[in-house]
Amino acid sequence: MGLPLFDAHADPGPSFFHYAESAGLTTPVSEGNATSPHATTVIAVRYNAGVVMVGDRQATGNYIASRDVRKIEAADRFTAIAISGTAARGIEFIKMAQLSFEHYEKMTDSALSLEGKANYLSPIIQRNNLSSPLIVMPLLAGWDPSHQVGRIFEYDGAGGCYERFDFSTIGSGTPFADSALRLGYRADIDLEGALELGALALYEAGDNDPSTGGPDFVRNIYPMMVTITAEGFRELDAEDVAARFRTINERRTQSGGVAGGTLR
Amino acid sequence: MSNYFYVSPEQLIKDRAEFAQKGIARGRSMVGAIYDTGVLLVAENPSASLNKISEIYDRIAFAGAGRYNEFDRLREAGIRWADGTGFTYSREDVDARALANYYAQHLGDMFTEGQKPLEVEILVAQLGSKIRPTKLYRVAYEGTISDEPFFAVLGGDAETIRARFAANEERIHPLKETLKNAVDALAGPDRTIPTADLEVGILEDRGTRRTFMRLSDDEVSELLS
Repeated sequence: MGLPLFDAHADPGPSFFHYAESAGLTTPVSEGNATSPHATTVIAVRYNAGVVMVGDRQATGNYIASRDVRKIEAADRFTAIAISGTAARGIEFIKMAQLSFEHYEKMTDSALSLEGKANYLSPIIQRNNLSSPLIVMPLLAGWDPSHQVGRIFEYDGAGGCYERFDFSTIGSGTPFADSALRLGYRADIDLEGALELGALALYEAGDNDPSTGGPDFVRNIYPMMVTITAEGFRELDAEDVAARFRTINERRTQSGGVAGGTLR
Repeated sequence: MSNYFYVSPEQLIKDRAEFAQKGIARGRSMVGAIYDTGVLLVAENPSASLNKISEIYDRIAFAGAGRYNEFDRLREAGIRWADGTGFTYSREDVDARALANYYAQHLGDMFTEGQKPLEVEILVAQLGSKIRPTKLYRVAYEGTISDEPFFAVLGGDAETIRARFAANEERIHPLKETLKNAVDALAGPDRTIPTADLEVGILEDRGTRRTFMRLSDDEVSELLS
C-alpha cells in the first residue's frame, strides 16, 4: 500500500469506510455459506444514568463453534457495539466501527457525536446485508456527552437505524429476552435494577433458545455484562457476573425451573 | 511546435530548491525532541485550530512546517496509511520508518517531476516499544530523509534554532527542561512566544493504547514556569 493521496474531488474525507472501499481494503461483497457460525443474544437496557448491556458468549453453526466469544466491545471510550448474526462479518464490523470512530477523530481533531456514529453504521450494514446471506445485526449503545444521557440505537436488516428509549435486543434469543424485558422494565429503573433485569432476560434466552449460551457453570464462562456511563465503558468482573447468574440459577432450581410467579 | 530554452539539470534543481526553501521560510518553525520518557513536538502556531502537530497512530505523531494545505494533505494520507495498514495486518505492524519512506518518495517525486515542489518539511515521530525504537524521521522538501538522534528542527530558521537548541541539549532531559529548551530555541534571545501561540503535543506511555496527547495552554504554562 502506497501513500493514499486523493484529489480534492475524490477525497473520501474522514470516513474510514469510504477510504477502505476506495482502496480495496474491505471484504468484497459475495455469496457465502450461510451455515458459518452465528453469534446470538445481546441485550441493552437504558437506565437513569446510562446503559447496561448483557451478551451471551456462544457462537453456533451446526454445532457449538465457540463458547467464549465476546459480542460486546468498546468502540471507543463512551460507545459500545454489539453484534449478532454471522460471527465473521460481525467481528469485521466491530473492527471497522472501532477504527472508523478513531480515524474520524484523528482526521478532524474532534470526536464524532453518538448520533453521528449511529448514522455512520447504517450504510455499512446495508451494504453487507442486502448483498450477502451473511447477515450481521449490530446494536450500538453509548453515553451521549452532549445530551448527558445514555442512548441505544438498533438497526433493521436493511440498515435502518432506530433509537430506542427503553431497551433493545438482538439475536436469536430475542423473543424470550424481549418478553422478560417488557415485563420487568420500568421507566425509572436504576443501575442495579437494569443489571438484574438484563441478566434475567439473558438467562431466559439461554434457557429457551438452543443457539444462545446461558451461564456455563461447568467451564466457568459467564455472559458479558457492561455499563456505559459518564465515566465510560466498564465491563463487570467475571466474579460479579458469576454471582448474579448463580443467584438466578439457585432461585430457578428451588422453584423447579420456572420463575415461580414473579419476575426473578 | 513550442520552443524550449535549455536549462541545465543543475540549474533546474537549484531553482526548484530555492523555490521550496523560500516557501518553507515563510512559515514558522517547529522542534521535535526526544525526552526521558517520550517524544515532544512544539510548534509556534498562532492558530488554535489549524494544527501543525497531529496524531497518526498509537505510537506515531506527525508535524509539518511550510504550506499548511500541502502538509495537511500529507498528514491525512499518513493517518489513512496507518489505519489501513493496521486494519489489513495488525496494529503492531504500523511502523513510522515505512511511513517516513513513503513521504520521502512522494516529496522526491514532486520535487523532480511535479508542477512545483512541495513547500513543506515533515517530521514523523515514533515512541519506542518492545519491538521498535524511539525515532525522529525528518523528511525535507526534496525527499531527503534523515534519522535524527535527539531532536529535529523544521521550518524557516532551522539552522539558527538548531544551534540554539543543541547548545542546551547534549543529553536527554525530562519533559520540563526539554520543553523549555525548545521554546527558548524557537523564540531566540530577543523575544518571548506567548503560550497561546504554542502548539505542543507529546507521545508518552500512560497505560493506554494511544500515546499521543495535546498539552493545553495551562499545562504548557505550568511546565514552563
